[in-house]
Amino acid sequence: MSPAEQAVTQERIALAKAGNAEAWGELYREHAPAIFRFCRRAMPTREDAEDATMDIFIKVRQKLSQYDASRPFSAWLYTVAANHCWDLLRRRKLRQGLETGDVENMPLEHPDPGQLEQLMERRTGQEVRRALDKLPARSRMALVLRYYSDMSYDDIAATLGVRRTFVGVVLLRARHQLREILEGQGGARLAAGGAA
Amino acid sequence: MIHFDEMACLLYLDGQLDAARSREMAAHIGECSSCRDLLHALERETTLLSTALTEDTEPMPARLISERARSLPSWVWTLAFGAFAAGAYWVWTDGIAPWFDQLSNAGFGGTDMFSMIVFSGAFWEGWSDMIDAMQVGAVILLAIVAIGWIRRRLRRSVAIAVVMSALLFALALPQGAAAAEVRRGQSISVPAGETIHNDLIATGGTVRIEGTVEGDVIAFTRDLTVTGHVTGDVIAFAEEAVIDGIVDGNVRVFSRGAVLQGTVGKNVSAFGRSVDLISRANIGGGMIVLAGETDLDGKIQRDLLGLVGRSNLDGLISGQAWIHGGTLTVESTAEIRGPVTFEGPQEPVVEAGAKLASPIRTEITQDVRRTRRSTARVVIRAIVSYGAALAVGILLLVIFPGFFSAALREAAKIGLPIGIGAMALLIGVVLLIPGLLLVFLGVGAGVAGAMAYAPILYVAQVFVGAWLGNKIMGETSVATSSVIGRMAVGLLILRVAGFIPVLGGLMWLAVLLWGTGAVLLGFYRMSRVEDEPLPA
Repeated sequence: MSPAEQAVTQERIALAKAGNAEAWGELYREHAPAIFRFCRRAMPTREDAEDATMDIFIKVRQKLSQYDASRPFSAWLYTVAANHCWDLLRRRKLRQGLETGDVENMPLEHPDPGQLEQLMERRTGQEVRRALDKLPARSRMALVLRYYSDMSYDDIAATLGVRRTFVGVVLLRARHQLREILEGQGGARLAAGGAA
Repeated sequence: MIHFDEMACLLYLDGQLDAARSREMAAHIGECSSCRDLLHALERETTLLSTALTEDTEPMPARLISERARSLPSWVWTLAFGAFAAGAYWVWTDGIAPWFDQLSNAGFGGTDMFSMIVFSGAFWEGWSDMIDAMQVGAVILLAIVAIGWIRRRLRRSVAIAVVMSALLFALALPQGAAAAEVRRGQSISVPAGETIHNDLIATGGTVRIEGTVEGDVIAFTRDLTVTGHVTGDVIAFAEEAVIDGIVDGNVRVFSRGAVLQGTVGKNVSAFGRSVDLISRANIGGGMIVLAGETDLDGKIQRDLLGLVGRSNLDGLISGQAWIHGGTLTVESTAEIRGPVTFEGPQEPVVEAGAKLASPIRTEITQDVRRTRRSTARVVIRAIVSYGAALAVGILLLVIFPGFFSAALREAAKIGLPIGIGAMALLIGVVLLIPGLLLVFLGVGAGVAGAMAYAPILYVAQVFVGAWLGNKIMGETSVATSSVIGRMAVGLLILRVAGFIPVLGGLMWLAVLLWGTGAVLLGFYRMSRVEDEPLPA
């Protein structure tokens, strides 16, 4: 975002904080599509994503005074959104299995770079999205936070409630699960390649 | 050579390695093709993931888009609305309008129709007693859970399709009743000696049945006279109905005046200004009477249930009798073999010579009843119904937060929802009248209509309560618990205010209109592109 755009956003935030409905409407129009897409990726159904998006913006409007202008607005939005979605998922007990302990202890097969490369080359975005939907909630959430919202490891750790050093493990495990699903869709087996 | 593992590669790519290790890695990949390849593959995976996640493949749903997109309504809603409009038009032209024509042929013009439906206070009093708020509450709870369950599993468009087709299906059912002989005309008669081997639907000024009908008789007429033999049921909407023959099945009469003097094999339900059972009449089953006045001289082999302004009992009742109404007189010729219960404003009159199995159990109602009823019972009832309303509110809030906030926002507009609510009530009454008629032909449409309307009336209080809570405690937080708290306070105030005589009743009427309007507007807002997607 250019400095000029940033200035516009900051001004809108200031106006919205003061209760200007038009400024808030602009902010909403600008950011709602991205937040909806985020929810769509993070939540299991479209309905859930729609409800979550509405609720997130209601929250955001109320918490606007807590927004720290030194941070990019969209990053703050994603934090609020991620916390909301993760809260919902956790409350629904969709976070099956694979607690921190499992992630820690399960050894990960070392992939063969050539085959991994091939697998990635053959798969389309749509296939990846379909595979993502089949992941356990935490794995999916971690990938979405990192590769959609571009969140830092620190923020991911705070959102998911894991230690910062585990974020890499969670992400790597999620990638492995994703590869397994993608392979199941008809790819070559990623056999163990060179050991560490 | 010592290779780096996949974890280290990932952390390196994500810039998470400390400076020293990062330098080490950079140096290593310069020499090691295996690690370089792995790094490259992982990078490729990252790219694929980012692309897959950020690609814009799905449009924003209509309800999340603000006014910019208003000119582009979702095709689903266009289609649904079209289907609904077509269905409504079809139902009107094929279903309701002909019925109205038939009714006015039969002499039920405007005020007559109305007077028949609201012929006496007993009718409505009766319904208010019969409809238990708890039951409505339970049905709504069940429905909310069911809808919530469906919603979790179906996409909105699928859900709409399901609901729409169910609605159309329910409305299409009346057509099934047409498999019968239909006779129309100013004066219809089945003369003695004629036998109809089918159900008979007769509409006209007068309908006389002197012959035999081997099936049901459904009549819309001014004067209905049955002196012949009907092997099925008689269902009649008439100004005056006289059943003098033999009916093997049930008799259900909606009429201003009904006189029964023949033999009925099963049960009788009679709704009218006056319902009389002449002494030679014999009813094989029980009898339900909703009427302004009734004079029962004949024999009823089972129980009697009456919601009647003025009742005279002179005949035989083999079962028990339960009567709610203004006055009850048991004449000297009467014989009642079961227990008798009377609820009314004054003691019943029992003439000398009347045979009663036991003294009449009397409950004095209305003004006196209130003081007699123990305070504890009133309080417990109030607490239970308060709890039920709150539970319904909480469930709505948890399962449909979007709808809840939409309806609440509408409630805050006060004037608009009250107006809409009043309009809906008027339309509801107009729709309920044919609905009621349809019900008695075994049709789902009336039931479906009533089932859709009753829950809305019940839920109305939730939104007015929540609005009131917001006004008192301030509209600050969106956290579910604080909304529940406000709703609890608001509903409590409504309940307490409801105890005030006269004003309490008026307040409830306003709450019903207001809340109904808010619910309907909430539905409307949810169904279309929103002006302002977020609450103020």
